Amino acid sequence: MDLIKIIENTIRASIGVDAIYFAIAALGLNIHFGYTGMLNFGQAAFMACGSYGLGMTAQYFGVGLWWGIPLGIFFVIILSLIVGIPTLRLRADYLAIVTIATAEIVRLFVRSVKFRKVFGGTEGISSFSSQYRDLSPFEPGKEYGFGPFTYTGYSLYTILIGWGLVGIFSLFTWQLMRSPWGRVVKGIREDEDAVRSLGKNVYAYKMQALVIGGVIGMFAGMILALDRGSVQPDNYSRMVTFYILTALVLGGLAKVAGSVVGSMLFWLLFVFSDNVLREMTRNGPLRISGVTIIESNQVGAVNYMFVGIGLMLLIVFRPQGLFGNRQEMALDGR
Amino acid sequence: MLKQTGPGVGHIWLKVLLAVICSTVAGLGFASSSVSAADDGEFFIIASVQNQVLVNDVPERTPVAGASIKVTTSDGTLIGEGITGADGLCKVAVPTRDNYLIDIDTTSLPNGLTLIDAAKAQVKVDQVLFTTNTKRVTFFTGDSGVSGSTEIERYLQRLTDGIRLGIIIAMCSVGLSLVIGTTGVTNFAHGEMVTFGALLAFFFNVHLNIPILISGPLVILLGGCFGLLINWGIFARLTKRGIGSNSQLVVSLGLSLMLINLFLFLFGGRTKQLTSFSKQVNLEIGPIGITPRDLTTAILGIIILLSVAFSLQRSRLGKAIRAVSDNVQLASATGIDTQKVIRIVWFAGGALAATGGIFRGLDEQVSFSMGSDLVFLMFAGITLGGLGSAYGALVGGFFIGIFVEMSALFIPSELKVAPALFILILVLIVRPQGIFGRSQRVG
Repeated sequence: MDLIKIIENTIRASIGVDAIYFAIAALGLNIHFGYTGMLNFGQAAFMACGSYGLGMTAQYFGVGLWWGIPLGIFFVIILSLIVGIPTLRLRADYLAIVTIATAEIVRLFVRSVKFRKVFGGTEGISSFSSQYRDLSPFEPGKEYGFGPFTYTGYSLYTILIGWGLVGIFSLFTWQLMRSPWGRVVKGIREDEDAVRSLGKNVYAYKMQALVIGGVIGMFAGMILALDRGSVQPDNYSRMVTFYILTALVLGGLAKVAGSVVGSMLFWLLFVFSDNVLREMTRNGPLRISGVTIIESNQVGAVNYMFVGIGLMLLIVFRPQGLFGNRQEMALDGR
Repeated sequence: MLKQTGPGVGHIWLKVLLAVICSTVAGLGFASSSVSAADDGEFFIIASVQNQVLVNDVPERTPVAGASIKVTTSDGTLIGEGITGADGLCKVAVPTRDNYLIDIDTTSLPNGLTLIDAAKAQVKVDQVLFTTNTKRVTFFTGDSGVSGSTEIERYLQRLTDGIRLGIIIAMCSVGLSLVIGTTGVTNFAHGEMVTFGALLAFFFNVHLNIPILISGPLVILLGGCFGLLINWGIFARLTKRGIGSNSQLVVSLGLSLMLINLFLFLFGGRTKQLTSFSKQVNLEIGPIGITPRDLTTAILGIIILLSVAFSLQRSRLGKAIRAVSDNVQLASATGIDTQKVIRIVWFAGGALAATGGIFRGLDEQVSFSMGSDLVFLMFAGITLGGLGSAYGALVGGFFIGIFVEMSALFIPSELKVAPALFILILVLIVRPQGIFGRSQRVG
C-alpha cells in the first residue's frame, strides 16, 4: 500500500480547488443557515448562477468575462426572490422544501435540450475562460512548488485567487456579523418574534441575508467553473449542497473559521477514505473470508454513504462541530 | 412532415454507404476476420434504440430504455430477446454470422414513444454485411409528423398517464404528510422508502424468481417494517433526546444521502426492469391505450387510496391518527397513546411507500434514485393539500400527478416537473396552509 502517495493526495486535497469552492459556498451557506437560521438546501443553484453567469456572458454576449459577475448577481437576486417571497414568512421547513425543489428545477432547465442554445444542454459551456487565463502571472504548463505541493501554473493561479477570495469573504462575513445588521440577523435566528416586536422588518432582513449568502455562493460556482474551464450542469446537483452542508456542520455553524476549516477537513477525510478504499480494491474486489465486500466501482458510493452517516452523527452528537458554540447552534431557536 | 423525409433519406444513404464500406472491408480483410471469429466464436447483435427530436432542424438523440428487442432467424426461429438499458442498447448473442431479423416491440416503448417510421419495426441483418463480431442496428423513435392521434386522443392518453402517476404520488405521500403531522419531522428520506420497496421487489422478482403477485405483499410488509426501523432507530430517539424538528430535518437529509448511496452500492447505477408483466400488449379502450398491467395497478391503487381514506375517516385508529396529527398535546390528554400512533403512522407510511415503489417499478423501471426523483413531487402534493393532512396528501398528490403529465402536452417532457414547482410556490403565496390545512399561523 502506497501510504506516502495517499498522504500526499490527502494534503493536496485539503488546500486544493475543491476545498476552496466548498469553503466559499459554505461561507455563503453559513450566512443563511448558521447566522440567520434559514434552511437553504439549494446552495448548488446559487453556485450555478455564478458559473452560468460567467459562461453565458463570455460565450453569447460577446462582452468581457467580468460582466459575468453582474449577470451572476442578477441571477442570484431572481433566484432569491423566487424562493424567498413565498417562504420567508412561513415556518423554516417550507424554505427547505422550496430550495431543494428549485435547485433541482434549475439544474433540469440548464441541462434541457429546449434551452440548449442558452445554457449549452448537458455538455454545458466551455472555452470561456481565456480572458481569465491571460491574466495569470505563471506559465500555464510549468510546474511550481515543492514536494506534494507541486501545481501547474494554471492550477496555482486559481488556487491563489481562490484562497484570496476565501480570505476576503471570511473577513467580510466576520465584519458583517459584528455590524448592527449582523446582530439583527442573529436575533432573527434566536427569536423572530422578539426582533419583530423591536420594529425590525424580519422579512426584509431575511431576504437580504438570502441574497448576500447567495452572492457568496455564486463566487464558489465561478471558481469551480474557472478551474474546470467549463460549466457542467451536473456539478450543481442537490447532492453538492448536502456535501457543503456537511462540511459546514463539521467545521461549526455560525463561525467563520468553521466554514473554511470544515471544508478543508471534509476534503481531507473524503480523499483519504477514497484513496484508501481505492488502494484496497485496486487488485480486484476486497474479500473478507470469501465474501466480496466492495469492488472498485463501488468506492464512490461507499464514500458518499460515509458522508451521509457523518452528517447524521454530527447533528446528533456534536451539532456545534469543531469550532461552534453550542449556545449559538440554534437550528431550533424557537 | 417534409422534415421527416430528410433524416429518412439520409438514413438510407447512410446504409448504402455503410454497405459499401463494409463490403470493401469484408473483401479486404475477410480472411483475417474469419480467422479471428473462429477463434473466439462469439457474435452479438447490438440493437440501439434512440429517440430523435429535431431541434432547429438538427436531430437530437437520446437513448430509450426499456424497449423489447427480439432476434429471430429468417425462418422465424427465436434466437434471443433483450430489453434496452439506460444507454438505449441491447446486446443479443447469436450463434453464427447469418441472416437475422431484429424486431422491436413497439408497445414496449416507454412514455408512449412511437417509431418514426412504423415500417422499420423490423430490421434485416444480412449475412454479407455481418463482418465483425458485433452488428449494430438502430431504431429511431420520435415524432413521425403523420401521427394518427388527434388532439383529444393525446389529451386523454396524457390524462390516463397522469392519473396513474397521481395514484402513485398520492400513495407515497400519505406517510410523508402524516409523519409531518404527528411528529413535526419533515422527512426528506421518504423517497428512499419508495426506492426500498421497488428494489426489494426487484430482488425477489429477478434474483429469487418469485413473481410480484406473491412477493408483493411481503415487500409491502417489509416496507412497513423499514419505516418502523427508521423511526425506532433514528427519529424516536432524537425526539427523546430533545433534538428539535429542524435538526431532525437535517438528519433526514443525511439519512437520504446515506440510503441513496447504499442503494447505489447494492444495486448499481443502471436502470433495470422487473421481469413480471414486463411484456404486454396495449388494450385499446376507446382512444386510450393502456396495458393490462397498468390498468390493474391503477385499479388496485384507487382501491388502496379509497380504503386509506375510509379507514382514516371511520376507524378508531384512523380517528386517533387524525387527532394526533391535528394536535399532539390535546390528543395525548384525551388518552390516545401518541407513541403508538406515531409507530403506526411510520409503519403505514412505509408500507404505502413500498407499494408505490412496486407500482412505479412496474410502470417505469427500477433504479437506485427512483424515489428521490419523486420526492419533490410528493412535497409539492402535500403542500398543496396541506402539510400534515392525510386527505391533503391524497388529493394533492393525485392532482400533482395529473398536472405534471398534462403539462407535458405543452412543454418539453424533460421539464414537465417544473410546473409542479410553480404550483408549490403559488400555493405558498396564496394559501400556505394548503387546501385541507386549517387557517393558522404557519410562520
